[in-house]
Amino acid sequence: MRYDIIIIGGGLAGVTAGLQLHKAGKRCLIISEGLSLHKTPKDEYIAAGGAFLPGDSVISGEWDGNALKAVRTRNLEGTRLEADHFILASGKFFSRGLVATMDAVIEPVFGCDVEFDSCRDKWYNDDFYAVQPFERFGVKPTEDGRVFIGGVPAANLWAAGEILAGETDIEQSALKIVSILVK
Amino acid sequence: MQESNISPNNFEQCLKCNLCTSVCPMMAANPHYPGPKQAGPDGERYRLKDPAFFDLTLKYCLNCKRCEVACPSGVKVGDIIQASRLKYGHQSNPLRDTILASTDFVGSLASPMAPTVNALLEWKPVKKMMNLFGVDSRRKFPSYSKLKFENWFREQVPSQENFRRFVSYFHGCYVNYNYPELGQDFVKLMNACGYGVRMLEGEKCCGVAMISNGMGRQAAVNGSKNLDAMRKALRDGSEAVLTSSSTCTFTMRDEYEHLLGLKTADIRPHLMLATKFIFDRVESGDIRLVFKEERRGKYVYHTACHMQKLGWTIYSTELLKMIPGMDLTVLPQECCGIAGTFGFKKENYPYSQLIGSKLFDLIKKLNPRAVITDCETCKWQIEMSTGYSVLNPISVLAEALDLEKTSRLNVAVPSR
Amino acid sequence: MASQEYDVIIIGGGITGAGTARDCALRGLRTLLIERHDLAAGATGRNHGLLHSGARYAVTDSESAAECIRENTILRKIASNCVEETDGLFISLPEDDIEYRKTFIESCQRAGIKAEAIDPKDAIRMEPAVNPDIIGAVKVPDASVDPFRLTTANVLDATVHGAEVMTYSEVTGFIEENGRIVGVTVRNHRSGELSEMRSAVTVNAAGIWGHAIAELAGISIGMYPAKGSLLIFGHRVNRMVINRCRKPANADILVPGDVVCVIGTTSTKVPFEDCDDIRVTADEVNLLLEEGCKLAPSISHTRVLRAYAGVRPLVASDEDPTGRSISRGIVLLDHETRDGLPGLITITGGKLTSYRLMAEQATDLVCSKLGNVKKCETALRPLPGSEEEVGISRQSDSLGRKAAGNRHGARVFQMDFADKSEVVCECEHVTRAEIEYAIKFLDVHNLIDLRRRTRIGMGTCQGSFCMLRVATVLAQALGCPEKASEFVRQYVEERWKGLTPVCWGEGIREMEFMRKQYGK
Repeated sequence: MRYDIIIIGGGLAGVTAGLQLHKAGKRCLIISEGLSLHKTPKDEYIAAGGAFLPGDSVISGEWDGNALKAVRTRNLEGTRLEADHFILASGKFFSRGLVATMDAVIEPVFGCDVEFDSCRDKWYNDDFYAVQPFERFGVKPTEDGRVFIGGVPAANLWAAGEILAGETDIEQSALKIVSILVK
Repeated sequence: MQESNISPNNFEQCLKCNLCTSVCPMMAANPHYPGPKQAGPDGERYRLKDPAFFDLTLKYCLNCKRCEVACPSGVKVGDIIQASRLKYGHQSNPLRDTILASTDFVGSLASPMAPTVNALLEWKPVKKMMNLFGVDSRRKFPSYSKLKFENWFREQVPSQENFRRFVSYFHGCYVNYNYPELGQDFVKLMNACGYGVRMLEGEKCCGVAMISNGMGRQAAVNGSKNLDAMRKALRDGSEAVLTSSSTCTFTMRDEYEHLLGLKTADIRPHLMLATKFIFDRVESGDIRLVFKEERRGKYVYHTACHMQKLGWTIYSTELLKMIPGMDLTVLPQECCGIAGTFGFKKENYPYSQLIGSKLFDLIKKLNPRAVITDCETCKWQIEMSTGYSVLNPISVLAEALDLEKTSRLNVAVPSR
Repeated sequence: MASQEYDVIIIGGGITGAGTARDCALRGLRTLLIERHDLAAGATGRNHGLLHSGARYAVTDSESAAECIRENTILRKIASNCVEETDGLFISLPEDDIEYRKTFIESCQRAGIKAEAIDPKDAIRMEPAVNPDIIGAVKVPDASVDPFRLTTANVLDATVHGAEVMTYSEVTGFIEENGRIVGVTVRNHRSGELSEMRSAVTVNAAGIWGHAIAELAGISIGMYPAKGSLLIFGHRVNRMVINRCRKPANADILVPGDVVCVIGTTSTKVPFEDCDDIRVTADEVNLLLEEGCKLAPSISHTRVLRAYAGVRPLVASDEDPTGRSISRGIVLLDHETRDGLPGLITITGGKLTSYRLMAEQATDLVCSKLGNVKKCETALRPLPGSEEEVGISRQSDSLGRKAAGNRHGARVFQMDFADKSEVVCECEHVTRAEIEYAIKFLDVHNLIDLRRRTRIGMGTCQGSFCMLRVATVLAQALGCPEKASEFVRQYVEERWKGLTPVCWGEGIREMEFMRKQYGK
């Protein structure tokens, strides 16, 4: 299947980007592990005819150099999902956009570079009410919003929402990428 | 050390976000049901300590798997509930449950006397008796067909062997005993796509009704026979084993392994709904479709719960959208409430209809020419509850295709 | 300053203090139990929850071993509702000395512990979670005991027999008259009030904090604070207690407790000033998992729910950097004969399994000083809830009712399930009926107390889902609805402490979720 843009993650960043891109005439597919909590933009997106795969997740990507060509999902086995651009909006730990092992934090689908502290004792703050260091871990993108893999920027894999390192405005980060992709 | 952090029964990945509870159709209709989280991951911790913690209200689980689709943690909520029912539960009405679950056995008895049986099933005294027996008298039974699909197909075998490429067809009980027309449409469609159709040797009921009625052992016996038949079919040259029922497909692909412990890894990639098979080959150019030009009108597509769990709605709807003039609305996914044999049971009938009411109202509001769905029990329920006719995508495609032109195009494709 | 008279004041609401209060009350003494925080808030609630058969000590400390098996047998009878008869295995792995097994079995037999050599194949059948590489196994009558329930039941019975209990009350000093301890000054932490409590005898049963209590009287006991860290897993992987058949070492016991299991422990000396706020380090967690996997490999892919640590109240005999070789035996000090200070005794050392015997010995000493000749009955009288076997056999009962019966035994009949059967804590199936019972009868002042009485918030969500709901129920029942958010704050901070050492995998997901729910 061929789309203009495939969005990985049906959270606020994913559905915000999907809805705006769809409105701009782009053929989009959103792949969402679990139900989207952000019902309103999701429903609007689907009602407008946007493609949405609920309860599915991307298991692998097919690369040509630093350009992502296609992805495959757990449910649509054997079917290549091609697109010109991909947006990684898979969130932080709760939604498994990031996975913490006992000694590292990784981005599990594409192995994007992730910023984190190498010492586990420094991942948290003893004070529950303080900002937690792990809440700031994430993918550090290029100026315009593309991910790094092994230190090299990807050509067409963009990151939006909570998966980003640092303090993030979820909607704004999605809209920033939308504005680049509709140009 | 702690590399995956996933135990085989992954209930502890549950973070108690309760998204599953919010989508559970039974939870909304029945205050006695504790909901998927409580019945599944929460209950499982206690059952591991002592099986006496098994809760009888688990019988209300529809096994629709909407909870699993909703879960952001990948917890197999529905599997946990079903597995514990098989392990610790017992049938509440053993004779009725066993008969309802034995679709194959009952079908083979009823089919030869179909007109009589169908009339009897509609006859009031019989309905009353069924009521006593625990089957709701308001439930309309699917009628039995005089001509079993298997018998019809026997006549077609020689012509099917003329093709160069083959698929095997798992027709299921419903096509065999109640609705051979769907099977006939399947054969027509696959033939036009350039494939000869074969039967599986000794196909058994997939066992879905046995699983939900606590008959795990019998279901496993059926399952391993079916898997062996599929292995043989693939060895004998079929490119895939195709189906026209989302529930049979889901049961054989997922439940066999998760609930019955059968090994399916070798079969799984080759066992699928016909719509997925055709869509993938249309995309790759291996199959070409030519449709008849005609006015069609408004249709709605209902995603069956197990279809949503498979994640394959997109194949059926994308194929249907290829039909020129097809005005197709994909309905928001709702459970129709029947859940196989569940809705036939007297004690469940009111829940069943209450759960489905949202869907029925929506269909009535949209007033389509027909409803399309990949599931036969949804078909019974929607037809009975709304009066709209319900079609399988296979039949819609077979009817819309210019079979002759399509055949000519596809025969030209060389054998792989 | 208010002042009251008792025969005996017991300092410390851990299992030793609770057991002593019960024994004293049963012998007709006017008894007061004083606890600085909540019941079972110290080392009592921070261990394996293992009812030792004594096998662990058979080779190195035969006296403790013999004590354990006697008490083990008694507690199965009098505290049936707190004990789960799991049995235990001592396993030998390929790297272990199989010869040790012979010594081990002989030592067990000498101490009166039934120890039965088991073929590895049979051991795997009995306990499927055990490391399949075992070369030998010995079955012993270890069991699992819930320390919170055990303490609560002892305190409950003490109050039934006339004892008074003051929780959240700290002893700030002793009252000395004519060279004799005649009472204590107490600050109530909830009201801020200071009061005087007078008694003929005072029993110091404050565990590791007993060191500081003794110092208030000008006495040094020379205690050795040995920190032990443990991990709780999300569900039960084993049915039997699994031990290593070798000299006691780190992380060599895996105990199934209620619906979880616990691996432990480590042992390191900590400064006294750290005892109030001890934390588990990443290194300790790594060590516990590494060693634990050798007992039951499946814990390597089971979620670690939280980490916690307790401080053993050992009494130093020599300099031992780990404290492993210090006797786990009971230490009863009569400060009249030891230090020339009448009116004060200290009961310490020992272990959860031998708490009843410790209480008996302490009470015997109290009674001898008071001229009371009544015999100890605690070995024969069942604790409240254990009078009859309730079980969970009625299949039609709701899960909440079954769970409450499992936790409170026969006391479940005092709960009102008629219209209070709704589940409030879903992970642990705690109903409103159980919560209201606990608030009414079990001395509950906040969510943390309520957790120790019922298991609310001890499940996989660690309270992140139900906390607000429980806080509202509790605040209403206590007549202080405005306190609900304060209860939540206290509770979240307490849970957080146990989550942070295991902040990876599902643990960090839960932490992120909890922060989103309550953090802002």
